[in-house]
Amino acid sequence: MPIVIFELPDGTQRKVSAAPGTVLMQAAVSNGVEGIVAECGGNASCATCHVYVDDRHTARVGPPNDVEDEMLDFTAAERRPTSRLSCQIGLSDELDGLIVHVPEEQV
Amino acid sequence: MSVPTTAAPGAPVVDLDLADLRHDPYPAYAELRRTAPLAWVPSVGRHLLTRYDDIVHAEKLPEVFSSREEGSLLLRTVGPNLLREDDPEHRRLRAAAEPPTRPRQVRDQWAGAFERTAHELLDRIAGRGEADLIADFAEPLAAANLALVLGLRNAGADDVAAWSRAMMDGNSNYADDPDLWLRAESATRAIEEAVAEAAAIVRREPDGSVISSMVHAAEPVSLAEIQNNVKVIIGGGVNEPRDVFGVGAWALLRRPDVLDRVLGDPGSWKRVFEETARWVSPIGMYPRQLTRDHEIAGVTLPAGSRVALVIASGNRDESVFERPDEFDVDRPHRPHLAFGGGPHFCMGAWVARHEVSALAWPLVFGRLKGLRPADSPQDRLEGWVFRGLTSLNVTWHTA
Repeated sequence: MPIVIFELPDGTQRKVSAAPGTVLMQAAVSNGVEGIVAECGGNASCATCHVYVDDRHTARVGPPNDVEDEMLDFTAAERRPTSRLSCQIGLSDELDGLIVHVPEEQV
Repeated sequence: MSVPTTAAPGAPVVDLDLADLRHDPYPAYAELRRTAPLAWVPSVGRHLLTRYDDIVHAEKLPEVFSSREEGSLLLRTVGPNLLREDDPEHRRLRAAAEPPTRPRQVRDQWAGAFERTAHELLDRIAGRGEADLIADFAEPLAAANLALVLGLRNAGADDVAAWSRAMMDGNSNYADDPDLWLRAESATRAIEEAVAEAAAIVRREPDGSVISSMVHAAEPVSLAEIQNNVKVIIGGGVNEPRDVFGVGAWALLRRPDVLDRVLGDPGSWKRVFEETARWVSPIGMYPRQLTRDHEIAGVTLPAGSRVALVIASGNRDESVFERPDEFDVDRPHRPHLAFGGGPHFCMGAWVARHEVSALAWPLVFGRLKGLRPADSPQDRLEGWVFRGLTSLNVTWHTA
């Protein structure tokens, strides 16, 4: 199972294991990672599971899809080139060790 | 599967008077959160679930807390629709209807017309020095904007507002008043005709509206499905932005110091919106029905049990929000439940946020100088399934 790391705004890290075939948002929510709100439950409707992919991992994760790209314009925290919605990042063993940064606010 | 119409074994039974709930449900909700967070309420015919964490838990388990509810008032009012479906059926309808309500579409396609409509409504009242901001501004604004986004160019704002009121009265007709059913049926027939006409036009000439999007959806949607879902959207699409506008304006008018700070920091309208929606959620509760036995709040509910997720109560849960009964735009941010959660997260959220916090409040407070509440006894907060101001009478300087 891939291990993914959420770095919180205060610098602390939460390391969680995730089942392949699920998405990064689910890994956060099912492990109670603070700051991933995910109001719409993974349907790319709310923009409240925003993360910044660590600079070293952006190539592995890839770019946002079209709907996600639109929603990322309306996140509560600033959009950056590394912004993604965690509900749109599918997890696989290739993403083992992924680090993402949780923004200060989601709504 | 039979539908239990009594309390689940072990569930406390709490008598609540519907008239008391309409007047002010919050004291009853506070007591339920404290003593019976899952309670069978005979007058409602459901188990009320009132704590924040339990509601969030239920919203995250749509496969257990199903939106398909037998005997639903909404089903009786409008027929089968996406709010009373689960995925994948819900997803098919939502995907067809949603694109015109996404935030970039709101900004690029609708915002200009929204702003013009707001100015036109203010032009009509600006010289009067007094108005009811609900009837003279918020309701016609919400209805006109909704007609635009839906693609109902053959209906006026007055029609849409009246249809919405009639259907909402049906949808919250727990007292089973036959006159309310008749009015709701008359409204839904009128909507069916208007949608059929609009759908025929956009089939030839797509216009980016919700009806057009559903007509041209990748996964086909029938005319009856479009009609029923437009009914649902008209139901919610008027009262929710209208009520958030009214309650937020009412709260600020009674707190001139807060209003001054907000006027000096236009970026804070967004916080006002979210706090208003938390403080008095326009939708107070919605129903779910269990697909299988499930334990929640210390009670094992049998399959088929009817539950009401009381988001108005979750939004006042003292374990999540300090001093929850206070309207406080500076409170530390915690996500509220007013837009619902999971797959049914409010489709109109981005429309409402823009319409109310980016346009309606700034324009009203910017143009009507010296705005003051008229302290009319008619201005009451009312309702529990849906809650908002009955009117908001105000005065301002015209010189």
